[in-house]
Amino acid sequence: MSTAGRISQVMKGVPMKPVMSANPVEARRRVLTLYKQWYRATPKIIEKFQLPYTVEKVHNRIREEFMKNSHVRDVRAIDLLVIKGQMDLQETIKMWKQPCHIKSYFHQETAVEVPTDFLGKFFTQKH
Amino acid sequence: MGSFLKLLHRQFVVPWQEVVKTIRHNGASDGGYFPVLRGFFVQWARFNEPKHGKLVGTDELGNKYYENNRYFVARNRWVDYNKETWNQMWDYNASQVTPEWHRWLHYMTDDPPTKVPPTSRPFLIKHKRNLTGTKDCYVPYSTTRPKIESWKP
Amino acid sequence: MLRIATQKCCDQLPSRFLPFLSTKSGAAVATRRHQSTDDKVEVFVNDKPVYVKPGSTVLQACEIAGIQIPRFCYHDRLSVAGNCRMCLVEIEKSPKPQASCAMPVMKGMRIKPDSDVSKKAREGVMEFLLANHPLDCPICDQGGECDLQDQSMMFGSDRSRFLEHKRAVEDKNIGPLIKTIMTRCIQCTRCVRFADEVAGVSDLGTTGRGNDMQIGTYVEKMFKSEMSGNVIDICPVGALTSKPYAFTARPWETRKTETVDVMDAVGSNIVVSTRAGDVLRIIPRLHEDINEEWISDKTRFAYDGLKRQRLTQPMLRNKQGQLVTCLWEDALPFVAEKLSTTEGSKVAGIVGGFADAESLICLKDLLNHVDSEGLCTEELFITDGAGTDLRSNYLLNTTIAGVEEADLVLLIGTNPRFEAPLFNARLRKSWIHNELEVALVGSKVDLTYSYEHLGDSTTTLKQIADGTHPFSKRLKDAKNPMVVVGSEVFSREDAFGVHAAVSAIAQNATVTSQTNRGDGGADWKVLNILHKVASQVAALDLGYKPGVDHIRKNPPSLLFILGADGGAVTREDLPKDCCVVYIGSHGDVSAPFADVILPGAAYTEKPGTYVNTEGRAQQTQAAVSPPGSAREDWKIIRALSEISGMTLPYDDLEGVRSRMSEVSPNLTRYDAVESANYFKQAAELAKLAKPQLVSKPLQSSQLSLADFYMTDSISRASKTMAKCVKAANEGLTPDL
Repeated sequence: MSTAGRISQVMKGVPMKPVMSANPVEARRRVLTLYKQWYRATPKIIEKFQLPYTVEKVHNRIREEFMKNSHVRDVRAIDLLVIKGQMDLQETIKMWKQPCHIKSYFHQETAVEVPTDFLGKFFTQKH
Repeated sequence: MGSFLKLLHRQFVVPWQEVVKTIRHNGASDGGYFPVLRGFFVQWARFNEPKHGKLVGTDELGNKYYENNRYFVARNRWVDYNKETWNQMWDYNASQVTPEWHRWLHYMTDDPPTKVPPTSRPFLIKHKRNLTGTKDCYVPYSTTRPKIESWKP
Repeated sequence: MLRIATQKCCDQLPSRFLPFLSTKSGAAVATRRHQSTDDKVEVFVNDKPVYVKPGSTVLQACEIAGIQIPRFCYHDRLSVAGNCRMCLVEIEKSPKPQASCAMPVMKGMRIKPDSDVSKKAREGVMEFLLANHPLDCPICDQGGECDLQDQSMMFGSDRSRFLEHKRAVEDKNIGPLIKTIMTRCIQCTRCVRFADEVAGVSDLGTTGRGNDMQIGTYVEKMFKSEMSGNVIDICPVGALTSKPYAFTARPWETRKTETVDVMDAVGSNIVVSTRAGDVLRIIPRLHEDINEEWISDKTRFAYDGLKRQRLTQPMLRNKQGQLVTCLWEDALPFVAEKLSTTEGSKVAGIVGGFADAESLICLKDLLNHVDSEGLCTEELFITDGAGTDLRSNYLLNTTIAGVEEADLVLLIGTNPRFEAPLFNARLRKSWIHNELEVALVGSKVDLTYSYEHLGDSTTTLKQIADGTHPFSKRLKDAKNPMVVVGSEVFSREDAFGVHAAVSAIAQNATVTSQTNRGDGGADWKVLNILHKVASQVAALDLGYKPGVDHIRKNPPSLLFILGADGGAVTREDLPKDCCVVYIGSHGDVSAPFADVILPGAAYTEKPGTYVNTEGRAQQTQAAVSPPGSAREDWKIIRALSEISGMTLPYDDLEGVRSRMSEVSPNLTRYDAVESANYFKQAAELAKLAKPQLVSKPLQSSQLSLADFYMTDSISRASKTMAKCVKAANEGLTPDL
């Protein structure tokens, strides 16, 4: 559970000042809006950054990033994540980011796995 | 076709006779189909300006050197690379010009090597183009001996 | 760096070494000899009262007061010469400044080492020294570790007043190890004194007088000593430098790794200098109980053998019978498959002299796991009687430092000068300063000191044991006798007989010496075994069988050779279908007939435990990484065990070492001598087995200096050592 979630539990019953959304339905709407914005911007992003990926692949990656936070239920936390997502989108579209920043989202598959077991280490490393 | 020729004429602002001469001059010499037309388009694509001129000479690699003083200085001498380059299409470069023609082509002298042949020296080697980027390019290698000598069975 | 270390240690110098000197009680001295505090002399250093033993020198008194006097000729392990004059100090009521290294203290003496007169004296001496010293520090190999360079920074003038020509001296060729640039020499005569006193070879001397004085061998000849390299370290200037190291590196560029030598069983402490993964030189490290500050030439110069003939890739023998390189992923499964399909009794292992205890325990655990008992060391020892069960049977029990307390040494079938040069240096030191008497049964060799040669027959041994030999009388009268047996006698067929006779001699001497000393059972051990290879004691501690008899009797189908290059087993001894797996660092004797080669690390490339001949566990450190795909030996065996499905229950160094201490706890108690004292029981057990003696003479295989240099796979791969052998055999040629 996120920090925000823990705080909201502690302060159960105490009315909290909303960040943006008053209720979960509204928060959900904001998330979907953000998702659509990202979704629609994808071809433009690929073109601008000259990414060597297909639109579908970038869509999937965006979806993954959204689903990473799918467990968040706290409305205030969702709102903050939405704000961060919007900032991220702006930085991407305005080219404040650089191609390497975008590509770093896709690099997990090329990262070399360092062996941790004895045999793996024996075959690959001297020490 | 008519509009195309009109465009050509407008671009070069030359008499029709010049255009015809140019087209004739630039015929491809490889003996393929439509040599005249093909040669003209290749020349145009390469030079962006189809020219015709007097053949001054040919070097040992087969490159042909032309001159036509009707054009401005700096455009009046040019080289048409040899047939090999013709097959390479776009893979030609200035290092293919041999040194004795280089000086004429770059206006260091007005005497082409056909008129004033260069002094021959026993140590001169045959000119070779720059091989960078080709499969024959020079690859540097280490000449230091390894620190550890392995046992050879 | 070394020099600073030696100067620091000078206050720990045992007083017996320089009898007329006395020092503040160092830890080593205090334990052996009680020092009374009453008979001290009060002197004043810079008006500060200091109490020193009478007979101390002014230099030592200043050292106790915490003031270092600059010096060139004075060296605390050599006799006092007093000829460099650098240590001049002002002493009150003395008309002139005095050379403090040679001036004994007197009661109430007022020493002023920091006075203007002292300083001016030093500056004057320095000016004279530099008058004839060439200005070639930038191309001098001593640069950065030069005493003259350092001291001229403190006492040298900023300009020269000498307009005359500098003296030039012809360089001498004294062998393939030491480079001489004699113009740089300041005639401190440290090298001459070292050769005379420590090395025991009077090859170096001075010729001429005054300005024409020169150090040299008079006629061009090799400095024939097994410890000659030490003059490089004691030379305070760049006159004597290392020939193989010439123009290689500066001391501040190199990375120093403090480690232990394995070229012999003494376990000298060394510093390995490396740069960019390259071993550049080896210099000694101070260890009072083992090597003091000397090392042998093999230790110092055989390092270029670490770079030649190396096994860098795993190899497999193909169908055509040729060894071809392969990957670990190919070689290990091949061996693993053999290991799991071969019957346990058909699996065996031989370990050589460079095997560390970690790989020894791994190999033992792996082979025991497949129910094999064929674990042998290449070096021989006795198996009858107590055999290797009693640890005191196979150790140098008196310890190396203990030699200094001995009064009679009987050497049997050994030539310690070449088998353990540092042990021989101790014997010589004791022979000089303690009137140690030495007797030898074995080949008549030059030990650099005089000894009584009792012949080389086994009958002599028997007579001494019976008490019928005239020498028995002297052994009986000795207070601290030592009997030292070379490990070479165990290659004889009557090895057990010799060992039994020696045990009997030692046991008799133990009893008599106790009465002679009158301390009744004090901890003085007489029996000593002098091993030749570094791994032997650890292997015996871990329960390896000495000798390869077991393998000859039970021909194996799968044989592991762990760096055994002594030629104990050849292809002819093995059955045709036997698969030989060689694990080691050098392609030497055994690798050519192996079917699989698994490249291991040499001693500078791995952290490993070695136990020296006195039973002292020490560890080497990795100075560089193993070349190519070579791996640490124990890791190879561990990986093999995992692939063959018999995973050993440890996978890091700590795990291996805790397993080692389960088997033999002394292996991980580093730098401690675990003493063993079961001589009586061993002697009784020896009697039970009725040992026999044959009449073959007791001989030593290393008789002359040429035999010393190339004895193992590393020194055989070394070009420097080959040059030494050539020079020792054929004399000097210009290319050496």
